[in-house]
Amino acid sequence: MEEKISFKKVSFSERMKGMLRVDLRRTFRSKLFYIIIASALIMPILMTVMMAMMDGSVSINPETGEETVMQGPENTWQNIGTLPTEEALGGSEIFAMCNINMAFMGVAAFICVFISEDFRSGYSKNLFSVRSKRGEYVISKLLVGTLCGALMLVAYLIGSVLGGAISGLSFELYGLSTLNLLMCILAKIFLMPVFVSIFTLISIAAKQKTWLAICGSLGGGMLLFMTVSLITPLSSTPLNVALCLAGALLFSFGLGAIGNTILKKTSVL
Amino acid sequence: MNAIEIKGLSKNFGPKQAVCGLDMTVPMGAIYGFIGENGSGKSTTEKMICGLIPKSGGSIRLYGRDNTDGAVRARLGVLIESPGCFPSLTVFDNMMLQAANLNIKDAEKEVIKVLKKVRMEGAAGNKYKNCSLGMKQRVGIAMALLGDPTLLVLDEPLNGLDADGMRIMREVFLDIIKDGTRSIVVSSHLLGELQKVATHYGIIRHGKMLVEMTAEELDASCRTYLALRAEDMRRAEMLLGCRYSRVERDEADYLRVYDLVAPEDIVTYLYENQITVTELRTDKIGLEEYYTDLMNGGKR
Repeated sequence: MEEKISFKKVSFSERMKGMLRVDLRRTFRSKLFYIIIASALIMPILMTVMMAMMDGSVSINPETGEETVMQGPENTWQNIGTLPTEEALGGSEIFAMCNINMAFMGVAAFICVFISEDFRSGYSKNLFSVRSKRGEYVISKLLVGTLCGALMLVAYLIGSVLGGAISGLSFELYGLSTLNLLMCILAKIFLMPVFVSIFTLISIAAKQKTWLAICGSLGGGMLLFMTVSLITPLSSTPLNVALCLAGALLFSFGLGAIGNTILKKTSVL
Repeated sequence: MNAIEIKGLSKNFGPKQAVCGLDMTVPMGAIYGFIGENGSGKSTTEKMICGLIPKSGGSIRLYGRDNTDGAVRARLGVLIESPGCFPSLTVFDNMMLQAANLNIKDAEKEVIKVLKKVRMEGAAGNKYKNCSLGMKQRVGIAMALLGDPTLLVLDEPLNGLDADGMRIMREVFLDIIKDGTRSIVVSSHLLGELQKVATHYGIIRHGKMLVEMTAEELDASCRTYLALRAEDMRRAEMLLGCRYSRVERDEADYLRVYDLVAPEDIVTYLYENQITVTELRTDKIGLEEYYTDLMNGGKR
């Protein structure tokens, strides 16, 4: 009787493949994913078009009689980062805050809901009962979160280009090259795992409590948010990309290991 | 080799000890009825077996390997507390997710096969949140059956099932263990249903294993009694109560005489006292009564 039973060793790659398949399947069946990507695509179009329409309009303060002339954007790439001649361009203040970097905060919502749903629905029982290694879960969430973040960045870039084209804005790079623009986007994509690992860790620690995960992630993300424009300017070079990649590796391994330990030492229900 | 071998298992939740020094052995090919009161530590033990909560002490071996072994864990089928499904996804999508989690080849075919086993193939397209309690329970069992598990750990799997559902589950359980290597641990408060399929029992109380036995041992230790009905039940009870050491009236209004006594002696004795016996049979106490007796500290 004992000869009949045999247990096949499941390799790490096979286990990872299974875990990723679960997460990707869930991602592409999740409404939230499409809402987030659609928002990332539509938001820059709306913002650019509306700001361009308001360009030159004058508002008068009834008390002081002071006139304020609204300045719309003049360049498409203001949605992505600060141009070298930014001071000369309009709408820079709003764009400095509401630009492609918002994707870093948007991905927080996705990760928090995605992970807490695992615990709230009880699906974590199915996952962890057949998986003794918690690391696979963390790695998979990091990869899927990064993918979602990268897609958001790309959607925002496309939205910005469309918005710029619709509004008839300039595509001039003012001394920068297309390579700089590419490096900037690439650096942002590589920076995404830094944020994703923070959000993943907080969500894993919060488990079913979505509100706690979201509040914690937004708070944690805000601490680093201002550094995004500094590390990934429009004038990015391969050095910026390398710096972001190094940060991504450091944060992913470091925070991933902490997430793994939390899952190992605590109940996964 | 046993399917599960637990030695000195303990679990503390802060100062509270939920499981303390529990020993448990589930042989291969067994349907192990895991019984205990609410809060006795059944679910906590099952969660530790499946690695869902870390243990505070002791060892858990599944098929001779530590329960952290990836190969043996990959062959676990689990239904603990409630099925783990995403409410907004369909039954089929939820099943497909678990199939992906288990790296099942030809997943669609396998999912349909297990849904057919629990008679849920017709509801595969339903959203999980729209399923009834019984349907959800069937989905949970189907999910546990995915991937040809060698060990099933089911916590209250019969909850919410109708009579047909229970019959199907019995068939499924018996089918699983027929090759003699697969085992099932079932905890349930429906002791009558459990007794129909269980081959082994473990009774837990306050986090400790009170007794472990096979179905045959339970059968042998369950005392035989005489159940009777008479024309004047009140007098019959009084007379028999004076003559024998343990006489009780049960819920079905039968008088039970637990002493070893020949049926004809009772009939004659009552007849001599002008009481006619209208019904008489010998019976055995069931698991439920055995369990109640044990919990009340009574003798079997």
